[in-house]
Amino acid sequence: MSLKEFLGNVLGLHIQADRSDLVFASVPREKFADIIDELVNVRGLTTQLSMSLDVSGLVGVGLALAHLYATDDRTSAGSYGVHALLHDDTSQTWFLLSTRLQPEDLSYPSVTRRVMAAHWFERFIQDMFGIEAVGHPDPRRLVHHENVPEGHFPLRKDFMWNAKMETADIAYPMPFVIGEGVVEIPLGPVYGGISEPAHFRLNVAGERMIALESKFFFTHKGVEKLLEGKNLPEALTLVEHICGDSAASHALAFAQAIENLAACKVSIRAQSLRSLVNELERVTMHISDLATIGGLGAGYTLLSSQGFRLKEQVVRLSDELLGNRFWRGLIVPGGVSRDFQANEFQKISIVMGEIIDEMLDVVSLAIQSDGLRDRLENIGILSKEAGLAYGAVGIAARASGIDRDVRRDHPYAAYGRFLPTVPIKVTGDVYARFMLRVDELKDSQRLIQELCKNPGEGAHLMPCEPKDGRDLGAVENGRGEILHLVYLKSGRIERYVIRDPSFCNWPLLGEIAPGNIVSDFPLCSQSLGLSCAGTDL
Amino acid sequence: MSVGGVRWFKARLQGRHGAVPWLPYITYANLLKKENVISSTGSWMLHVTPYAVLGSNIFLALVLPLVSVGGSLTALSNFIVVAAVLLLSSTFLVMGAFDAGSAFGGLGGSRAITLAALFEPTIILTFIALVLATGSSTLDGVISGQVMVGGLLIQAPYLVLSWFALMLTALAETARYPVDEPGTQLELTMMHEATVFDYSGPYLAMLEYASALKLTVFVLLLANLILPWPILVATSSGLTVFSVILATLLKLLVVMFVIALLESSIARVRLYRIQEFLTSAFFMALGGVSLALLSRLI
Repeated sequence: MSLKEFLGNVLGLHIQADRSDLVFASVPREKFADIIDELVNVRGLTTQLSMSLDVSGLVGVGLALAHLYATDDRTSAGSYGVHALLHDDTSQTWFLLSTRLQPEDLSYPSVTRRVMAAHWFERFIQDMFGIEAVGHPDPRRLVHHENVPEGHFPLRKDFMWNAKMETADIAYPMPFVIGEGVVEIPLGPVYGGISEPAHFRLNVAGERMIALESKFFFTHKGVEKLLEGKNLPEALTLVEHICGDSAASHALAFAQAIENLAACKVSIRAQSLRSLVNELERVTMHISDLATIGGLGAGYTLLSSQGFRLKEQVVRLSDELLGNRFWRGLIVPGGVSRDFQANEFQKISIVMGEIIDEMLDVVSLAIQSDGLRDRLENIGILSKEAGLAYGAVGIAARASGIDRDVRRDHPYAAYGRFLPTVPIKVTGDVYARFMLRVDELKDSQRLIQELCKNPGEGAHLMPCEPKDGRDLGAVENGRGEILHLVYLKSGRIERYVIRDPSFCNWPLLGEIAPGNIVSDFPLCSQSLGLSCAGTDL
Repeated sequence: MSVGGVRWFKARLQGRHGAVPWLPYITYANLLKKENVISSTGSWMLHVTPYAVLGSNIFLALVLPLVSVGGSLTALSNFIVVAAVLLLSSTFLVMGAFDAGSAFGGLGGSRAITLAALFEPTIILTFIALVLATGSSTLDGVISGQVMVGGLLIQAPYLVLSWFALMLTALAETARYPVDEPGTQLELTMMHEATVFDYSGPYLAMLEYASALKLTVFVLLLANLILPWPILVATSSGLTVFSVILATLLKLLVVMFVIALLESSIARVRLYRIQEFLTSAFFMALGGVSLALLSRLI
């Protein structure tokens, strides 16, 4: 039974298909949370069904909640929309479930009560749209800090992007532990090193952390709001600047969403180039993360001095090929902005081969050191159950045995032709996340060689006329899955939804850090390798 | 000099170019030009600490037999006095760290005092072993005694244990790897750096200089225990002065290189394993003392 049949016949939903791999249904708000609960947690209905009907490939064995977002459709439909995006990896299908809320009563039963992965999404919606998730276990503010007055909802259409707000002083409570010998250590948002602004409060008893509270969004820029009303070239520039180390992946997700919407064709060669840049960006990110974890976090300095030197060589390659150090400016809707020549492919293949070999040498030397392994093993453990509950993505999920990778589960670009192997670790500690990056580095090396050897033929850029509507682009980068949902209206952006992996994975820190000692906190956070730029959209 | 040298060697060992070895002096000069910013929650303790810490380290540098033996202050290098002055300096540092009431100061202070409690006994035990072996109760006497007889370790080989114990505690005392990470910018992993968190300007320069001085003192003390010559005696001529200074610099260079090699090739140990490290130092020191006692009985 396919996902479509299950949703239609069993749950009685009216299914519309946007594309073969994106299905859509609308439900009244009372049933919204229940249906998500049924699909994600496999409640009675599904279990009964799988027992009575002997069907293979039955869906409902736990879809994952990828995103929960809202739209302000008062001008077109007179109501607000709340949408849940779920993905079913077995049938490679995305399922978008929507509900409509009337402006007089902006509330719906909270999804978080049953599906914990929705906890930040619902708080985000509450801050940005003023839509209340009734029964949310933690209805505090998330994006808005103390200084934002009540009743200001930036993503509503009647909120001007350049509106000035009064400075308010509204409580932003951060729970803490009281007890004999329990101390609260505030950390950030300003750091001694070059670090993005995030604020943590470590509640410690002696050296042991017993609770962690965090506060983000110090650099909330309102990217989703700024994108509204932009045309596509303007939007692409902004999207490429969301997060410095994932410029190419964000651009790719944007281009895919536009192409899916207008059913544009992209040549095989352009697909290969996209995959190639996607892998090069992953390598850049992994080398940098390995150097940070081993070198700065655990104090094995050889790893950081060599790792950062090699990362510099990779970004210089980007500078040479694309004129910038961030793999930016290549991917555009309809293909890629320029074709690579045979000698350029050869150069990428040779240079990257050498760099990755050298990095693997340094890493294998480093992990022979008992001291380093002792620092990395058995700390910051994320169990598989916790990972699923929090909706972990990317490295953090795969290091805890959650087998999920967009490149394989929803193939895009050239990943249908060049299959990535998806390494999985089960221990879920810092060492697992460290070694997972090493394994992915090896696989990226292989993919880069293959892509350079056989990039395929075709025009690098084909015309792609934007079409109105709504669609999705999904990309897996070195950090996790990036989702972009684009709503277009007369060639301009009506609503742009960005789901960066950092947004899903930051809450994991509160799960993995407590129980470890204070001086291992940097290792816990570095091993997740998250960015604030991606979170503070 | 010693701090900058270790940094430079370390950079070279890791394939980096590295800053000039005398960079710390430039840093001290810059810091001295700046003004002191004192925490509004601090008391007089913040003002006393830099003087106390620098004073005790200068005292150590003067009385210990580093370049010369038999000077006029040497009676002060009694092993109990030396150990007590070391502890005095770390106690002041910790009290200064706690004084401003900031979280990192407290964190660093509590770590530093825990460590001090672990390595102070080892230092005293090591000194006792030296004293037992040589029969002199001052460190000056310990070194000058062996100048005459030709090498302490040759005369009493079991002191190798004490020497290693002293080396391990010296790494802890001077906040080097694998106990502390001198180059870190991560506040949470700091130990020594966190205790000087609340200081700035000239006070910071004094504290940094004191900790660099301590490193030099320990390096030379360790080197002199193995290889006492050439060392200045009260009656030396001008030529020997020159050769002694040269030899001292050479000793410094060698030990700096060894520390840099150590710091480049290992990761820092987990905080909860430091006591294993210091316990092994303690037992080595204990072994040294037992053997020294035993050899006296025989």
